[in-house]
Amino acid sequence: MAAVLLPILVLIVCAALLSVGMFVVAQLLGPRRVTKVKQMPYESGMDPAHDARRRFDFRFHAVAVAFLVFDVELLFLYPWAVANAVVNRDQQGLARVADAVAVPMWSPGLVFAEMLVFVGLLSVGYVYAWRRGVFRWR
Amino acid sequence: MNQAIVLEALIKTVIVIGGLATGAAYLVLLERKMAAWVQDRIGPNRAGIPLTDIRLGGLGQPLADGLKVLFKEDFTPAHVDRWLFTLAPVLILVAAFAAFAVIPFGSVLPVRSAATGTGAPVSLVIAPGVNVAVLYVFAVSSIAVYGVILGGWASNNKYSLLGGLRSSAQLIAYELPMGLGLLGIVVAAGSLNLEEIIVRQAAGGWYVLLQPLGFIVFVVAAFAEAARLPFDLPECEQELVGGYHTEYSGMRLLLFLLTEFLHMITAAALIVILFLGGWHLPGGLTGSTDEVGWFGALARVVVLVGKVFLVIVVFMLVRWSWPRFRYDQLMSLAWKVMLPLGMVNFLTVAVLEQVRWAWRLEGPYWTALLAAAAWGVCAIAVVLLAVAAPGVADNRGCRFTESEEQTG
Repeated sequence: MAAVLLPILVLIVCAALLSVGMFVVAQLLGPRRVTKVKQMPYESGMDPAHDARRRFDFRFHAVAVAFLVFDVELLFLYPWAVANAVVNRDQQGLARVADAVAVPMWSPGLVFAEMLVFVGLLSVGYVYAWRRGVFRWR
Repeated sequence: MNQAIVLEALIKTVIVIGGLATGAAYLVLLERKMAAWVQDRIGPNRAGIPLTDIRLGGLGQPLADGLKVLFKEDFTPAHVDRWLFTLAPVLILVAAFAAFAVIPFGSVLPVRSAATGTGAPVSLVIAPGVNVAVLYVFAVSSIAVYGVILGGWASNNKYSLLGGLRSSAQLIAYELPMGLGLLGIVVAAGSLNLEEIIVRQAAGGWYVLLQPLGFIVFVVAAFAEAARLPFDLPECEQELVGGYHTEYSGMRLLLFLLTEFLHMITAAALIVILFLGGWHLPGGLTGSTDEVGWFGALARVVVLVGKVFLVIVVFMLVRWSWPRFRYDQLMSLAWKVMLPLGMVNFLTVAVLEQVRWAWRLEGPYWTALLAAAAWGVCAIAVVLLAVAAPGVADNRGCRFTESEEQTG
């Protein structure tokens, strides 16, 4: 596994070196003239009234929670999709494996039905969230 | 053996990063030329070879821009969080590059790889054989949200903070339909490996023909994830000045802008690889097996890159053709339209594949029949959508959200 993932590390290190290098070179080459006005936050020419980090809309939080709920549930379907194809494509091979580890063989229909139950539950949650106005945005 | 792996990865990395950086620079020029063409102007045409009068139709422009940014002041305002302010562009750029570790830019070369020791041919992808490639691309591209929100937060500027919040909400909202559009392909291909997904399309037909609804959902979500018009809410110059990069200047701004073009290339490459057959062309020019000569290997690279280029041209044409969504329209499109459509697509594909496997329906005749069923579902879904939510379908005002307030 390490051998498969090693190239990814190589790419990430190279990309990090490149972007940090670009930043450092530009810092060394560029001029540096600090003025009072330049130091201020840009607000289209107005003097800023207060710090920018204040309370913001709750709906951003609601969207984040909804995303977490649905995305984590979505992640379950990826392993299912791969496992489903394996179960369907290689019946004999799977039966051999099931025999060897003494586990009852799952039929493709059952694997498919399990997904349907899961998606059904997901849909109930989705309809509930919609009715509660999580997706309303105005 | 590890040294051989690192060496091979290093060579490919240099090619990919060099190609992407140059490609992104010239895509900026292409975008400006395209804008000029749409608006009946000439566009940048001055920069050529320095100290001469040779202009080359503006081909020197990216180089001139890059040099200019290098010698500009990269200013850190007094009110920002210095560390996060610098970390944000670096992080987002590294994440954008990292996605290309598993995205193939060709097929294989007719040379045995010394690195793996299995005698397999050299794959034209930095990390070949990653069996969770699709999930990896998703995970890495999610890091872009961190870059955006860190940039907006660290800037301590109202425009930046609003832009950062908006765009992070947009990015996570459209990640769901993107994942659902993709799920149909994982069901059909039975694999999360991008190279294998291309091979399956070469053998059994492009997924754009087999899963039209998934294609629609994925393309819309890909536009939103790349923050291209009509989904460029993160920046929207007219409302938020520059969005999350309002306070940035010089090189750190360039890192952000480079990232945007990298995201566009990633999105185009994913569309091509997942739906448009990758390196495959009908007619036998590129073949459909791993046994390939030098001509075939190079033809596959040319076909893949050419397709990605064409999709990017479409991205740019869309940018100069459509106006921007309003924010509530953007959110209801994601949660109320694209998410159910993605679910319908996933269920359709799952049922059709199950039917195919249960009765062993092989061959082109059955494939065409199942594809026709998928097209039927797609047409019904689109028509139902237009009937159920005219406010979204004709994109006029907020009738949709108003009527909802009365009922709910």
